[in-house]
Amino acid sequence: MGNGRAWKYGAAILAVMMVFAFGCAKKQAVKSTDTTPTAGAPSAEGKAPEGVVSETLKPEAGAVEAPSAGPAGTQVASVAEAAAGVAATEEKPSLFQDIRFDFDKSFIRDDAKPILAGISDYMKKNRGAKLLVEGHCDERGTSEYNMALGDRRADSARKYLVSLGVPAGALSTVSFGKEKPLDPGHNEEAWAKNRRAHFVVR
Amino acid sequence: MGFVRRSSIMLLFVAGVVFFPATARAILYIDINAPGGRRMPVALPPFVTAAGDAALAAGIPKVLADDLGMTALFEVIPSEAYLEKILPSHFAGKLLSFPDWKLIGAEAVVIGKVEARGDQVTVEMRLYDSTMGKMMAGRRYSGPARHVRLIAHKFANEVLYAFTGVRGIFDTEIAFSARPGKGRDKEIYVVGLDGQDARPITNNRSFNLFPRWSPDGNTLAYTSFRTGVPVVYLRNLRDGTERALVKFGNTKSPGCFSPGGDSLYASVSVDGNSDIYRVRISDAAVEKVVEGWGIEVSPSISPDGKKIAFVSNRGGSPQVYVKDLAASSGERRISHAGGYSTSPSWSPGSDRIAFTSQSGGKFSVYTVNPDGSDQRLLASGDGDSTDPSYSPDGRYVVYTFQKKGYSELRIISADGQWGKRLFSGFSGVGSPAWSPRR
Repeated sequence: MGNGRAWKYGAAILAVMMVFAFGCAKKQAVKSTDTTPTAGAPSAEGKAPEGVVSETLKPEAGAVEAPSAGPAGTQVASVAEAAAGVAATEEKPSLFQDIRFDFDKSFIRDDAKPILAGISDYMKKNRGAKLLVEGHCDERGTSEYNMALGDRRADSARKYLVSLGVPAGALSTVSFGKEKPLDPGHNEEAWAKNRRAHFVVR
Repeated sequence: MGFVRRSSIMLLFVAGVVFFPATARAILYIDINAPGGRRMPVALPPFVTAAGDAALAAGIPKVLADDLGMTALFEVIPSEAYLEKILPSHFAGKLLSFPDWKLIGAEAVVIGKVEARGDQVTVEMRLYDSTMGKMMAGRRYSGPARHVRLIAHKFANEVLYAFTGVRGIFDTEIAFSARPGKGRDKEIYVVGLDGQDARPITNNRSFNLFPRWSPDGNTLAYTSFRTGVPVVYLRNLRDGTERALVKFGNTKSPGCFSPGGDSLYASVSVDGNSDIYRVRISDAAVEKVVEGWGIEVSPSISPDGKKIAFVSNRGGSPQVYVKDLAASSGERRISHAGGYSTSPSWSPGSDRIAFTSQSGGKFSVYTVNPDGSDQRLLASGDGDSTDPSYSPDGRYVVYTFQKKGYSELRIISADGQWGKRLFSGFSGVGSPAWSPRR
């Protein structure tokens, strides 16, 4: 092919020119080494050609593996606290049924009211009992919004219990958003179970 | 410099050009803002290495190829075509046989040499313009062997810069939360743009969620349930120290740091009402910046720090709003995609906001102007695409893709033309946050 031949000629001519050019280049390079400062830090081995910049990556630079427990000097989580955190993320059996919510809603449904009335009776009979109300969501939507929605569900259950006469001081709430589904399924049946407030008597 | 003069001699002979630029960087080879043009052909020959370090060296050209492939500006020539073998002498004065590279169409050649000593590694890489026969960039990196991919990313930045004049973001990282095991607990991880070797930041077997980067990239703010209740912590990634920052209220999640890094915007619920607060890093002093009767969450600040995007359900369903922080009123709804729009991410590099919206029974990622105009679908699949986070140059978005319990992180270019899977393997992968520039 004519093209291929042109390439070959071109390459040959280039090669000749290169040889010549390199011959000159070497002289130039030798001449300039002493006079031209190297860009960047000088290399450890002193062999870096002009233009090659040395850069040392410190082990710390953005790549620290965090120790699993709090390292010395941190202001967080003692062992006891960490254990509490673990316990709080486990599903405990409840004296009471979960109450359920509509998608993206936090109002107390009619089917939840008898359950809340039962909880209220228990709390009023058992003075000193503490109740943790957990708010949960289904897997749809984003984690952050669901965390706030779960908070609202737990709080709406809490307010309803207070309205029935449960002392506010006996109640606390926590939202786990969509992080603790009761049913791991990915359908409306599972979602309906997961949109819930869960009650833990302490 | 000797190098420039050498290339000038080359230029006189080969191209017949009398006047030439003093430095390679003065030439804009590729306009990064004009995609869709001809791609620059690049050769990435195997790196020079001692036999024992071959595995270490083998991955580097692949990382370079993947990084350059993200730009749609380069085309890597398959290695079967290469005529010249790179030798140690190429790093000690011997010049490349540029005609051999031009013959196969390579306009740029990246060569590299890897030397390992114990767990320390030195990687020298050089970028040559084979048309002009000159070195465009040269770097010798040394550091721990586990940073070899980070080194490759750093040189990919140099390659992009040499040809476009624009700094790359290839050495940035993505923080996210995921379940490492079969339990429900979630930990925070950080992974590079190659998606390899996600490294754990937390390991306390509770819920660790919503990682957010400080502007200097040294600190991650996140929510942890490790004491049983949610607290926002600041983790110093350089020395591993940590402190609790947001302890008041009930549910809380960090949204974003202020552009100067002196405060954190976070949503905190008090008595069931979630509002957005600015919390000063130095002393945890608190100021409410967005309030409403319902849920106000997920603040994302504009690059100039003057406006904030957030989610509110004040209109009956969650939607994205923008507020001018200087003005006392005027919160404008900007999402109009569907009945459920959340998780705004304000681009640090352009005036655009990405967010998640539900339509047709699934979640997709949209982008919109801060005034609510020009809304476009960016990422959608046969599952849910959520939680977008812009790259520091605004050219890419990382997001979560989920389908029936399977989850992965994906990256897409902001124009939607290019995309890849970044990370999979854990369950519950979510809340990705793109780091600032290194």
